[in-house]
Amino acid sequence: MMIDNPYLPIKTEVLDVIEESSNIKTFRLKPESLLHFKAGQFVEMSIPGKGEAPFTPSSSQYEKDKLEITIMKAGRITSMIHSLKKGDIVGLRGPYGKEYPLSEFEGKEILLIGGGVGLAPLRALFLALVHDIEKYKNVLFCCGSRTPSDIIYKDCVLDKWQNLDKKRVKLRITVDRKDDSWKGNVGLVTTTLDNLDINLKNSVSIVCGPPIMMKFATFKLLEVGYKPDQIYLSMEKNMSCGVGKCGHCRLGNFYACKDGPVFRYDKISHIHEIWD
Amino acid sequence: MELYFINKPNLDRLVKNLSKTYKIFAPVKADNKRFYKEIGENGLGDSVIGEIRAVEAIKSFYFPARTKIAEYFSKKTSNKEEKPIAIIGVKSCDLASFKVMDYVYAQEPFRDPFYVAKREEGLIISSDCTCYGETCFCVAIGIMPYPTENFDINLSEFDGGYVAESGSSKGEKIIKEYLELFQSAEPYMEKINSNRKKLKEDLLEHVKKSDIPPKDSVQGAFKSKFDSNLWEDVAKTCVECGACNIICPACHCFILMDQKNGNSFERLRMWDSCLLMSFARVAGGANPRKLLAQRMRNRFDKKFNFFFDTIGRFGCTGCGRCTEACPGKIDIREVLSKLQKS
Repeated sequence: MMIDNPYLPIKTEVLDVIEESSNIKTFRLKPESLLHFKAGQFVEMSIPGKGEAPFTPSSSQYEKDKLEITIMKAGRITSMIHSLKKGDIVGLRGPYGKEYPLSEFEGKEILLIGGGVGLAPLRALFLALVHDIEKYKNVLFCCGSRTPSDIIYKDCVLDKWQNLDKKRVKLRITVDRKDDSWKGNVGLVTTTLDNLDINLKNSVSIVCGPPIMMKFATFKLLEVGYKPDQIYLSMEKNMSCGVGKCGHCRLGNFYACKDGPVFRYDKISHIHEIWD
Repeated sequence: MELYFINKPNLDRLVKNLSKTYKIFAPVKADNKRFYKEIGENGLGDSVIGEIRAVEAIKSFYFPARTKIAEYFSKKTSNKEEKPIAIIGVKSCDLASFKVMDYVYAQEPFRDPFYVAKREEGLIISSDCTCYGETCFCVAIGIMPYPTENFDINLSEFDGGYVAESGSSKGEKIIKEYLELFQSAEPYMEKINSNRKKLKEDLLEHVKKSDIPPKDSVQGAFKSKFDSNLWEDVAKTCVECGACNIICPACHCFILMDQKNGNSFERLRMWDSCLLMSFARVAGGANPRKLLAQRMRNRFDKKFNFFFDTIGRFGCTGCGRCTEACPGKIDIREVLSKLQKS
């Protein structure tokens, strides 16, 4: 008797395609059978007969009937994904990897800092935290984008989330370069870490974004007073199988797909290639 | 486990009987090398059970170079029932590679069903080496030139026949089923043990020339050379052909590829090489191992550092196939030796 085949994708329908920015789209998907992911885990999404790529769902892990993935057009598979329309069929398998350890965040002041499409995994985390907000002291979500038009989840970031829970949920938003109508902060996302009103002894920070953004955000967090075991990163690596076998995503003694993609900084800071 | 004696005609009878239930492969000689060939009901013929390892590792019997691992969004095509595979003449270095393969493919969670099925239904009849090859260095990293683990039946060859050792309940069951072909091994044990001792000593003498660091200091020596320009020197003649990855019994990395086939979609698993430029490159263009020297170092990192930490063994069996296969004449013994030099 064959054991379960981990390479087999589930038939999935594209329910909706939302344009977030000029090169980022959110895909609302309905897999044939439920895929119960936890924030921070990833799935392998395939264009049938063409190939697969790993993505972290950005919807709430508590929403049972749909799954959202926010994808930037960056290469061969993502270009094909960006041509998808409502009703198209794709494949999904997963969830794989280690989720954000929510139980370790309980009672703490949580700082999320994300850049560009890095907001996608953080959105799943943010929605999970907000779902049970009374378990956490408070949440500060720092969002950075290149320009105002590059901000993803615009209606959430600029409006909805700002009014969720004025006492416990705060946002700091910045753009690298403004446009004519931008009235908000201008500066790299690391500038949102200036003048934090946080008791660092009871805080954790979760970072996600392009490698260079994660590197400088991590260094700034350390400068501001966070310890390496208070910082969580989502490590992006070339993946093929997603289940710890093909060897592509090896990071030191870890596989990003099996032992990550969420890693606590103190566990990986000694690995030479983490920022490459 | 139990020890028996079987003479050559009886071994041939055993093989002919096993060919009813197994697809049997044994090494045959061509151009002074050994290659696995399917032998059927005609028996062993001029198969070479002793001597040294075959040119190919046995990994392609367990995870082929290119194989379909999923067919999706369509009606399943029925799979032809095939006889399980039996391999005769497997050497100690090949058996050592199972430690790596089992760790990668058969460990929870997400066991690879194709590999697991082949491991469970396959039959391994291994054999002692009776001499060594020029590039062999198994003893330098703690692997003996005679099987000690991971076999169903082992054959120690000498002039009169073979001492057969059962290494698993599957092997024991086969011996019991054909017990009339076997006799007591008592009279021959001394000969076999002295053959093994002599070969081990001869091989130890041979590898002395290569000056490979002691097994327990290899990992430390690698770490000490991490930032050295040794890797640029090693990679100088590398042409990124991937031959070392293909021929190595312990190399196991692969890539998944999807294609359309008629009305259905197929997912293929194909051997991949970490020495190729795009192995670790991400879609956005970033590449943690842009330079060939970094990729060369990474291969040694995985084999002599990662696996030592993860399974307590090297991802190398000391078989020397990579040295034979490399068109750039990169010799793994030389690289290991340089790790301990200043």
